[in-house]
Amino acid sequence: MPSTFVGIETALRGLNAAQAELQITGHNITNANTKGYTRQTATLATSPELQIGPGVEMGTGVNVTGYQRIRDSFLDTQLRAQTMLQGSAQTQEDYLGQIEGVINEPSDTGLNSLLDAYWQSWQDLSDHPEDPGTRQALVESATSLADGFNTISSQLSTITSQTSQDLSLALDQVNADGKTLQQLNTAIYNAQAVGDTPNDLLDQRDQVLDDLSQYGSLSSTDNGDGTITVKLDGVTLTAGKTAYTLSESGGTLSNNMTTPETATITSTQGKIGGLVNLRDVTIPGYASTLDTIANTLIVQTNALQAGGTDVNGVTQTGGVGLDGSTGKPFFSGTDASDIAVVVTAPQIAAASATGVPGDNSNALKIVAMADDATLTPLAGATLSGAYSRLVTTIGSDAQSAQRANTNAGVLVDSLTSRRDSVSGVSLDEEMTNLVKFQQGYQAASRALNAIDDLLSTLIDRTGRVGL
Amino acid sequence: MTRITNSMVSRTVLADIQNVQAQLTSTQERLSSGKEITKPSDDPFGTSRALLFTSEISANTQYQSNVQDASSWLTTTDAALSSMSSDAGRARDLILEGANGSFDQNDRDAIADELDQLADSIKTAGNSQYAGNYVFGGTVTQTPPFAMGAVDTYAGNSAAINRSIGQGVTMQVNITGDQVVSPILAAIRQAAIDLRSGGTPGNLGTTDLAALDAATAQLSSAQATVGARENRLTTAASRLQQLEQAQSQQLSDTQDADMAQTMIDFSTQSAVYQAALKAGATLIQPSLMDFLSS
Repeated sequence: MPSTFVGIETALRGLNAAQAELQITGHNITNANTKGYTRQTATLATSPELQIGPGVEMGTGVNVTGYQRIRDSFLDTQLRAQTMLQGSAQTQEDYLGQIEGVINEPSDTGLNSLLDAYWQSWQDLSDHPEDPGTRQALVESATSLADGFNTISSQLSTITSQTSQDLSLALDQVNADGKTLQQLNTAIYNAQAVGDTPNDLLDQRDQVLDDLSQYGSLSSTDNGDGTITVKLDGVTLTAGKTAYTLSESGGTLSNNMTTPETATITSTQGKIGGLVNLRDVTIPGYASTLDTIANTLIVQTNALQAGGTDVNGVTQTGGVGLDGSTGKPFFSGTDASDIAVVVTAPQIAAASATGVPGDNSNALKIVAMADDATLTPLAGATLSGAYSRLVTTIGSDAQSAQRANTNAGVLVDSLTSRRDSVSGVSLDEEMTNLVKFQQGYQAASRALNAIDDLLSTLIDRTGRVGL
Repeated sequence: MTRITNSMVSRTVLADIQNVQAQLTSTQERLSSGKEITKPSDDPFGTSRALLFTSEISANTQYQSNVQDASSWLTTTDAALSSMSSDAGRARDLILEGANGSFDQNDRDAIADELDQLADSIKTAGNSQYAGNYVFGGTVTQTPPFAMGAVDTYAGNSAAINRSIGQGVTMQVNITGDQVVSPILAAIRQAAIDLRSGGTPGNLGTTDLAALDAATAQLSSAQATVGARENRLTTAASRLQQLEQAQSQQLSDTQDADMAQTMIDFSTQSAVYQAALKAGATLIQPSLMDFLSS
């Protein structure tokens, strides 16, 4: 036979369970807006039954067996993969937007207009080869054009160095996160060693992993002792209770293990991948196209002006300036960064080699250069055409980065919503639970009351028959 | 059934509002700039077309200015040739008069003097300038091709001056003095010599007249050439104008915003924005707490 007082214990377990559930509900409600918080529930199970006779078992109530985080790790993996893509696309969109600002097209002040003005000045010179004013105007518009090349070139270098700075900031953040993961791993290990379930530490660790995923391709493996090993782009950042420092050089990511692990970074691998791609591929590509255009302009103009080998390898005879000078180059420099006008107005060779003041045949040759699509380095385009191709490339790159960012953003939003749907706190639900658990508590205390009544009858009234 | 949580609702509301706001900003940008393309990524292909059309229009404007300039040059040339032509006509009359045997030497000397005057007049026309350039001097545009007085040496050269009047199209604008002026001068000077040489100038009515006629024929042919070139320029000018119109139209089609459409977009987006705000405010506020009695 069970003890007389067993019912009190049963009711007490009910009260404890209801209290624990109320406690968890309160925890959930107060953390409804905590970033990275995962809602928790108390896991209840019937307490071991009492054998009261052969084949007769009596239930003894309920036990709280644990607190569980409601989380779907599959969604975490998907979300982190999309966050990585978003990190890369967002970085590239930001930078390409800046570059679009630098080239400032279509506008009346962009390089295209400066190039147009340059050709117009040559045309004017071909109309009036002897006029000092026209010559000076050509020197001015050529100087503006050279300045235009210089400005874009130097701004592209500035942006490139910004990517390097951003990259080292990103790596600092990654390494700091690595240290945090190490500390959390240690704390979780210690807590689990004494049998605790450190749900809130686990939340914090997941939150760090979420943050890290924007920097690169993240993988985490469970070590079975509560700690995890985290790799960024395949390079170990934190292994259990040890943290490593990541560094990047020439597009390769490595850590500071005794035998360092290395991995080549690809462009879609988060912010770091995006920045490396911008720094090593995208921006240098634009700069080199611009340099080719500037170089073609310099070499071709100088060959027609001062004589020498032109961009197609043909030897040009050059011309004569108004002051009788020969062999005076028009531009100095070799690319967009250092192109400059060195010719003075009277030295401009509008006339051919045998020319006299009214001769404009050399100027007409330069005028024809504007429409020349056979300049070898430009691969079938005119100078303006090659530039507009560069602008189109930048525009397309920016557009696809925008699209990639928008797509990744939509997916990140939708996955975050799905994760919220599983792990987030619904206040309505918690309120309902609050009511439910409160009633559970009340019911358990009513049961206690009933047993109390019984016992009171037993203790106070028994043996008092006839009194 | 999907669980709907509070953070989901607020995130969705926020994302939607930001989305509509981004659209509004982009429409606003188009409205205030009047341009469909404000940066290359708005429409990369359109941008390259816009750049191409802008350059074409710029080149076209320049070609029109070149044509204008060439046309003025030819007008100057034409006027000078006409004046030479009338002088040559007068010289022909004088030579015919001088060939008449009834004149005495004094009369002939007087005719010869007048021929010399005509030569100077022709050389003055031969020194015609356009915008500071001697039009008959070949590429020697800064020195007068002819000196006044007895010496008729041509100081210019026979080089052509070309103008660029279209993409890859150049046209010669000048007529050189050695082609048109020098033969007339030579014929007139020879006649004057023959007149002054005394006796019956047998050559006057024959070789001298023939030489002058040949020179005048060259002059007429030069006039015809100038006329033909002027026609070519007129055609080129009207073609360039039509082209510019077409190019401007294409540029506008490519890069200018359709204002009516953009305004309608803007109004629609404003309405959506306000609806999103209102819906968000209604959705976020209440929870079960508002309805549970304590």
